[in-house]
Amino acid sequence: MSATDITLTGIVFCFLLLMIPVLISYHLNLKLIGSTLEAAFRMTVQLAFVGFFLTFVFELNNSMLNIVWVLFMVIVASYTVLKNSQLKYSSFIIPLVTAFAVTNVGMLLYFNSFVIGLDDLFEARYFIPIAGMVIGNSLRANIVGINDFCDQIQRNENRYLSSLSLGAEKYEALKPYLRKSLINSIRPTLANMATVGIVFLPGMMTGQIIGGSSPLTAIEYQIAIMIAIYVATVMNIMLCVLILMYRVFDEYGIFRKDLLKGT
Amino acid sequence: MEGVCVTAGDRSILSGFDMSVARGEKVLIKGRSGIGKTTLFRLMLGFRVPSSGILYFEGRPMDAGLAWDIRKRVAHISQDSDIGEGVVRDMLEEIFSYNANKGHFDPEKLRSLLVELSLQEDVLDKKFENLSGGEKQRIAIIISLLTKKDIFLLDEITSDLDAKLKRKVVDMFVGNPSWTVMAISHDSEWERDGVRVIDLEKLQEDAGVCD
Repeated sequence: MSATDITLTGIVFCFLLLMIPVLISYHLNLKLIGSTLEAAFRMTVQLAFVGFFLTFVFELNNSMLNIVWVLFMVIVASYTVLKNSQLKYSSFIIPLVTAFAVTNVGMLLYFNSFVIGLDDLFEARYFIPIAGMVIGNSLRANIVGINDFCDQIQRNENRYLSSLSLGAEKYEALKPYLRKSLINSIRPTLANMATVGIVFLPGMMTGQIIGGSSPLTAIEYQIAIMIAIYVATVMNIMLCVLILMYRVFDEYGIFRKDLLKGT
Repeated sequence: MEGVCVTAGDRSILSGFDMSVARGEKVLIKGRSGIGKTTLFRLMLGFRVPSSGILYFEGRPMDAGLAWDIRKRVAHISQDSDIGEGVVRDMLEEIFSYNANKGHFDPEKLRSLLVELSLQEDVLDKKFENLSGGEKQRIAIIISLLTKKDIFLLDEITSDLDAKLKRKVVDMFVGNPSWTVMAISHDSEWERDGVRVIDLEKLQEDAGVCD
């Protein structure tokens, strides 16, 4: 049993649904018509491209190519995090890519070898989709965590300095902000994990069930992937904030405003 | 401090500034708002680097390593009372968990300081951000005294206190001969015998120039 192909008519019906948000936007003057259409268009083009590309990659199933593709995902994810932050690309892209690669690819290798027990760790059918899920979640958490950390540091500059003048080391003075950013960025993933199955059926599980897997297999995978996502997210955001703590302050422990965009 | 210049944008805050303070000395720094009093303290703590000129501490010229040492040796109370949030007791716990302050916490001394500064013990269970200006100042004073330092940089620490408390606080800091105290204040309570007054306005008039 395999999933039924969606026909062209089906796709047209699906796109017709977009009329609803467009009409709402028009009536309430949300000015979201452009972005809605653009988002739908971009999604379609990107997924079409990825669809063809993945068919090719899966058929070839070349470890090197799979690794390169995952690294490309890592770079795009890091770039997206920076795009959504106040930090300059040039100063942070390399450390961020490194952090993403180390934590997510590390988790991926562990997952494929010990949890699924694959012979070929880089088998496209597992390596690429699971990488997508893990990196995608890390990406979301990093946008929250990094922005939160930068905001807090700037908002509480006086408090931070007064901690320093009370004898704190940089790490000691920043600990409260590190703590808050980690909690804020991890909380959505935790909440997801706690409500999964009841409130929502995750995409991967839905996909596997529609694709013909038994719900029990789908659940096994779902449990495993949720844990992998959670752990990779925690490691990734922790590493990124530590990198920030190390890089965004000068030798005197003062926040380097020159590393922010627009300076 | 020798020939220290600080500029912000194209505005000069301090120019060719010289000053020295000896161990055990009590110094009052005054001058109109915006003249750079607080900037002086920020320079001493390495929160700001002078555009030219050199600062010395115990004969060592200022650099990043020295700045971190000074922050551990000096008790600084900033004029901005935003020094923490949450329950006062937890704040104290956090501050005394820093390596530099470990083992310095003395509950007995805390209790006696609270009494001396007319604070009830239950102030420790209140949230710092909900305290009044005067209460915040007194908590900051208590923290600085509990960290057992002997050099004090005090930035407007008596502004929100009543006359009686002002006198008490000044007594505390001026009375200990081994302490080095530099206070920024508009309160005349600080102008006493044995306190050297540095008037920044006057100093600035005959100060040097910056390149």
